[in-house]
Amino acid sequence: MRSPESVAPHRAPIRPLVMKEVREIVSGRALWTLLLILSPLVGYSFVQAVALYSEASSAARDAPVLASGLSPLDGVLVPSFGALYLAVTLLFPFVAIRALGHEKESGALRLLVQLPYAAPTLIAAKMAAIAIEWLVASVPVISVLLIWRLMGGHLNAPETLNLLLGHLLYGLLVGTIALFSSSISDSAATAAIVALAFTIGSWVLDFGLAGQTGWLEWISGLSLTQVLRSFEQGLLSLGLLLGVVAAIVAFAALAAVWLHPGVPARAKLIRSVAAVTTACGVLALAAQIKLSFDVSEDRRNSFPAADQRELAELRLPLVVTVRLAPEDPRYVDLRRNVLSKLERVLPHVTVRLATAGQSVVGSTNDESYGEVEYSYDGRSAKSRSTSHREVLPILYELAGKPIPTAVSGAEYPGYPLVARADLAFIWFLGMLPLLIGAAWWRSHHAPRIPAHLLNHGGPA
Amino acid sequence: MKARTGLLEVAGLSKQYGGQRGLTEVSFDVHPGEVLGIIGPNGAGKTTLLEAIAGMLPADAGRVLWQGAVLPASHRHEALYYLPDAVWPWHEQFVTRIVEFFAAAYGRSREQVAAVVRSVGLSSVLGKRISSLSKGFNRRLMLALALLTPQPFLLMDEPFDGFDLRQAREIMGVLREVTGRGRGLVLAIHQLMDAERVCDRFVLLADGRVRAVGTLDELRAQSAKASLEDIFLALT
Repeated sequence: MRSPESVAPHRAPIRPLVMKEVREIVSGRALWTLLLILSPLVGYSFVQAVALYSEASSAARDAPVLASGLSPLDGVLVPSFGALYLAVTLLFPFVAIRALGHEKESGALRLLVQLPYAAPTLIAAKMAAIAIEWLVASVPVISVLLIWRLMGGHLNAPETLNLLLGHLLYGLLVGTIALFSSSISDSAATAAIVALAFTIGSWVLDFGLAGQTGWLEWISGLSLTQVLRSFEQGLLSLGLLLGVVAAIVAFAALAAVWLHPGVPARAKLIRSVAAVTTACGVLALAAQIKLSFDVSEDRRNSFPAADQRELAELRLPLVVTVRLAPEDPRYVDLRRNVLSKLERVLPHVTVRLATAGQSVVGSTNDESYGEVEYSYDGRSAKSRSTSHREVLPILYELAGKPIPTAVSGAEYPGYPLVARADLAFIWFLGMLPLLIGAAWWRSHHAPRIPAHLLNHGGPA
Repeated sequence: MKARTGLLEVAGLSKQYGGQRGLTEVSFDVHPGEVLGIIGPNGAGKTTLLEAIAGMLPADAGRVLWQGAVLPASHRHEALYYLPDAVWPWHEQFVTRIVEFFAAAYGRSREQVAAVVRSVGLSSVLGKRISSLSKGFNRRLMLALALLTPQPFLLMDEPFDGFDLRQAREIMGVLREVTGRGRGLVLAIHQLMDAERVCDRFVLLADGRVRAVGTLDELRAQSAKASLEDIFLALT
C-alpha cells in the first residue's frame, strides 16, 4: 500500500513549471497589448529626444565647452527609456497580475498548490516568467540602442548597462508587487488596484513630499521611482542594489506566504510579520552601505580625479551646516554638485539643515540665509557657492592641504551628433508592431500533439 | 473483498463561517480501494468538508489521520489530491500543454499519459484551448489531471457534473479501474442515482453534521427504507 512517504520524496522538475508560467503569460493578450502600446511610445520618445539632442549638437559643433555637456545618456537614453518606465509603472502590473490572478479566479490555484512544488518554488517560477516578460517588453528600448548606434551615436557600455540594470530591477520590483497583490486579493481587478496603489502612490510621494526633511524625507525615499534615479545618473550604489533586491525578495516571500488558501490567516500574518521584519533589517543594513561606483562616462557623480584622490585622504569628520530651505533650488544644486559627491568620497560627512521647518519665503529677511558652513578639524569657513570649484579650495584650506593640480586630458569631450531619427518611425510604428502581431499570432497557434497521444480513440 | 483498515481517517472536523456552523464534528474513515460517497442536500457542507480534508480550507477543530497518525494540513497533498468543482483552469492554454505539464510534474511515462488520455476520451480535444472546451470535456480534462497524480486518495467534488447518463457511466467505469488499482476515492455527489451506482459506502451529511455512515445495506437496516433516495429523505 502506498503511503504519503511514497509521494513526498518526488522532486518535480522546475522547467515544466516555468514553461507553464511563460505560456500562461504569452497566451494572454496583456503582454502583446503592452508591447503594441510601448513600441510607438518608445519610438516617439526616441525621435523627439534625438531631435532635441541634434539641435543642441548643432550649437555645440564649434564650441567644445558646449559639446562637453552633451551626453547621450541624458540626451537620448534616459528620455527614450522613460517610455518603458511609464509602461512598467502603469501597464506592467496588469501583465504580471496574470501570472497569479487568473489562477485564483478560475480555481486553478487549488490544483497548482497540490502539485509537488513548495509555495516559494511556485512563486520563483512566476518571478522567472515575469523577468522573461520584462525582457520581451524591453525589446523596443533595446532597439533604440541599436538604432542609435546605427545612426553613429555614442554609447558607453558601463552607463548603458547600468541603466538597463536599473530598469530591470524596477520592472522586477513592480512585477513582484503585482504578484503580492494577486496573492492577497481574490480577483485580478482588486489586485490591479492594490498594485497601482504602490506604483501611482510613488508618484504622490514624489510630488507631495519632495524637498521635505526628517521623517517626511525618509518616507519620500520609499517611492519606487527612487530606484531608477541613481541608475539614470550613472551611479551604481551597492546599498541601493541590496535594498531593491531585499524589497523584491520580501514581496516575493509575502506572495508565497499568502499563496496557499489552506493556511490559516493567523499563521499567514505571523509569517508576514517575520518576512517584513527581516526585510526592514536588510533595508536598514543597506542604508548603511555607502559604497557606490560612478559608472557615468562624464564622471558626473565624482569630483575631478585629482580632487577625488586628495579628498579621499581627509579622514576626520566634516560637518556641513546648510542655511537653505530644502525646496530652494540652490540647495538642490549644492546637493547635486557638492554634497552628494562629498558623501561618496569622504568617510565621515554630516550634513545639517539649519533651516529645517522654514520655507524660502519665510527666510528672506534672515541675512545668514544661503550660507553654508564647513567645519573640519576644529576649524570652519562659510560660503554661499554651490559649485565645487569654489567649495573644494575652502575644504583644502581647512584641512591644510594644497589644491591639487588638475589632470589634463581627463575632461569629458561630449558626443554631439546632428542627425534625424524620423526613419526610426518605420521600425517603431510599422515593422516592430507587425513583428509583435506575428509573435502574438504564433503564440495562438495550436501546438503539435505528440504522436503517442493521438489515434487512441477512447470514449466519445 | 476490501481491506477494512481505515487508512485515512477524519476525526471531529469542525468549521464555522462567521458564527454559522459549516461542519460540526464530522468523523468517518476511508478504506483503500473503496469509493466513499459524501451525499447531502445543497448547503449540507460537502464542498467545505472536502476542502477541509484536502487542507484547502483551515478547519477550526478536528484532525485528519493517516494510518492512525495525524496528517498535518501542509502534508495532505502527499496523500490526497482534491479535484474541486466548477474549475476551468488555465483557459488560455492548450489541453495538451496542461496534460504534459501535470505528467512532467509527476514524472509520468508517455505510456501512462497515453493511457489516461485514452481512458477519459480526451484525444480529440488535445489541440484545443481549454476555454473552447464544453463543460463535459473540461470535466474529462480535470479527471485526466487527477488520474495523472499519484496520491493514494482522490477527493472529487461532483465528478459527474456535466456528463450525460452514458458519459457518467463511462466515467464510473474509469473510476472503478482506479479503485481496482488500490486508490481510494471520496466523491461528493448530489445526484443520488449516480452515487448509488458508483459508491461502496456513504456518508450522509446535512447541516454540516454526519447523519449516517455505511454501505447501502447498512443504511437500509438503519432506516428501514429500500432506495438511497428514501434513506436520504429519512435520515437527513
